[in-house]
Amino acid sequence: MRCVHTFDLGNSAPLAEEAFRAFLRETSTGADRLLTLFAEEPSPGRFLLHAVAGGAAPGRFLYACVETSPRSFRTFTDVCPGTHWFEREIYDLFGLMPEGHPELNPLRFHEAWPKKFFPLRSTDAPAPDPRRGYRFLVVRGEGIHEVAVGPVHAGIIEPGHFRFSCAGETIQNLEIRLGYQHKGIESLFPGGPEMGKILLSESISGDTAVGHSTACVRLLEAITAKPADPSAERWRAVALEIERISNHCGDLGGLSTDIGYLFGAAHFGRLRGAALNLLLRITGNRFGRGLNRIGGIGPRVPGIAPEDLMAELGRLRAEMKDVGTTLLDAPSVGVRMEGTGRLLPHTAKTLQFVGLTARASGRDVDARRDFPSPAYVDSPPVNVLLDAGDVMARARVRFLEMRASFDWLSGILAGAMPPGTIAAEGVVPAAGRRLVVSVEEGWRGEIVHAAVVDGEKRITRYKVVDPSFRNWPALSFAVQKNVISDFPVCNKSFNLSYSGTDL
Amino acid sequence: MLESILKRASVGNVTVALPAGDLPSPFRGMPEVGEAFRTGGAAATCAKACATDAIDPEKRTIDLGRCVFCGLCEEACGGEGIRFSQNPRLPWGKRENLVLGGSDVSLAPASADLRSLLGRSLHLREVSAGGCNGCDLEAQALGNPIFDLQRFGIDFVASPRHADGLLVTGPVSKNMREALVKTYEAIAEPRIVIAIGACAASGGIFRGSYAVEDGVGNVLPVDLFIPGCPPHPLTLLYAILGFLGRSPEKIPRG
Ligand code: SF4
Repeated sequence: MRCVHTFDLGNSAPLAEEAFRAFLRETSTGADRLLTLFAEEPSPGRFLLHAVAGGAAPGRFLYACVETSPRSFRTFTDVCPGTHWFEREIYDLFGLMPEGHPELNPLRFHEAWPKKFFPLRSTDAPAPDPRRGYRFLVVRGEGIHEVAVGPVHAGIIEPGHFRFSCAGETIQNLEIRLGYQHKGIESLFPGGPEMGKILLSESISGDTAVGHSTACVRLLEAITAKPADPSAERWRAVALEIERISNHCGDLGGLSTDIGYLFGAAHFGRLRGAALNLLLRITGNRFGRGLNRIGGIGPRVPGIAPEDLMAELGRLRAEMKDVGTTLLDAPSVGVRMEGTGRLLPHTAKTLQFVGLTARASGRDVDARRDFPSPAYVDSPPVNVLLDAGDVMARARVRFLEMRASFDWLSGILAGAMPPGTIAAEGVVPAAGRRLVVSVEEGWRGEIVHAAVVDGEKRITRYKVVDPSFRNWPALSFAVQKNVISDFPVCNKSFNLSYSGTDL
Repeated sequence: MLESILKRASVGNVTVALPAGDLPSPFRGMPEVGEAFRTGGAAATCAKACATDAIDPEKRTIDLGRCVFCGLCEEACGGEGIRFSQNPRLPWGKRENLVLGGSDVSLAPASADLRSLLGRSLHLREVSAGGCNGCDLEAQALGNPIFDLQRFGIDFVASPRHADGLLVTGPVSKNMREALVKTYEAIAEPRIVIAIGACAASGGIFRGSYAVEDGVGNVLPVDLFIPGCPPHPLTLLYAILGFLGRSPEKIPRG
């Protein structure tokens, strides 16, 4: 399977620090990208950092690990800026201090928490500077003022705090403080590879229940050596593409709202509902909960015949095309979205952003091509790549990706039903300690789940990476030098998950 | 401009009339409890399959405040003990109203005073407190042209100062506790609190995590709990209207 990989940790001795550093540097400059970086305490007082990279060729996964002192490690941000947030998280969860980190503010815990609370660390932390206080960057200069927004926002959205430093109307710096949605989800995964873990994964980010649960279920299937058959894999991919359509469509509606284009808001809002209702017809839930079971899909999935689904999708496609063309061709819309919130290709590459954010800024990454699941191996949906990096580019990527998804769906639903036998490239369970990694392209970008498993097939550490976690810093870059009144439309153009980031 | 007007004319009225009837299969709505659950061995089988401890095999109850509607219990008992209907109308009210098969607790609509005050105009401030955003999305969907909450005189407002009450989602993360309490305190009395979804009722799938308060009831006085994971927008509509003492049967399409 090219979307899942198992590393035998018995055979992978930790690297020397310099070699590990070189591995991470390579992800910044080479063709393989960083997928995840996380800490683990394999035995009390002993700490490892695990890094997984890959993607230069389909199904290519690379692994490296290093042992750190129980106190700290030297930051890797100088050679690999994309580790910035990963290191902040490692400090919050394990109390391992990244020495020399440029901005070690807490991601997970706020002032009310005890200073030495590190939930995934079993041994007492000797951290030299245990702190919880958040230090905002202070911008100085004549006429600079600050605007603080959140955690509770005006609309019905998740909580987060934004602090703008402005000169007049122009944003000089935006600092994003998160953590409000932190629910300790990674601490709930250790244990047996049971269905409860799938339910947890459905709640990592509610709008990506299909993406996360599909990444999770394949990982559990690799642990238990119960791969799903091609027909189940096909329905997973069908649900994933409908999830993508529903969210892209909802975001085009949200963007319309934020520029006061009520026609787009009303119609895309309605069409998003129609797409969610198709997920309900397939899985029994508007967000695709209930799709996955270990070794396959739910017994009542799909609740709709492929021909009927195809007819519904055809109707939806025609309507979305109408409304989308009207939106994107309207001069009043172009004026508001072109040139607004520009994320430069160089920034997207340096910080290793992922998903549609990256693809609107010229960074060509798509897990459906680079880590294809069985249904995508032969022909993933057409890749969409733009490089303007502005709000309009992110809107267009969504519109074109919806079209690509519709094309792909009609192809796969019209094709012959794959035989219901177990895929030949089955999963061979290794004995002993191992690391299982599973990647899937959710609608925002690549989702990476990783689990350290012991010889008894029990999960001892589970790491989730939602694409939002990778992409939040992109918003800060995009809004620089924009007027503060354009912040909502910039923010919506990324539409990142707070829950998926805060975990 | 012309395209948008033509589109508007061709689509017509899309708002759902209430009551809306059953949703299509395989939607998991109101569970139906069979004899095998009430007296036989199905209660134990179902309890074993349940990852959220929603089922008490001794008392033979299902706590919809914990249930995430995953359907695993139905699969385990072959539908003999628990079978999910496609009806989106779920019990609502006080926390104990969400327990199926327990001692019968009558539904708890708002007091007559509150109903005369808010029954025809209710403005809510939404606070998302540690959930996964599924409930937030369904609360948001209430405002779209399909569910059109505003036709009932109910709306979401930007400031707690303009609100008659709070609608809270999520188990209440420790990091949101203070902001939630402050938002509540900023609302003038009398004020109501509506907690939607399994997380807000009990912590849901996150119950017991070090980082959550296991439900809104542990932080604020809750007037109305609504189950679901997330609740379907129709489930929310029926419950809120019911709480306000308004019968969905008498509500025009809009
Ligand atoms: S549907 Fe509800 S009661 Fe049944 S197993 Fe799932 S959470 Fe438990």
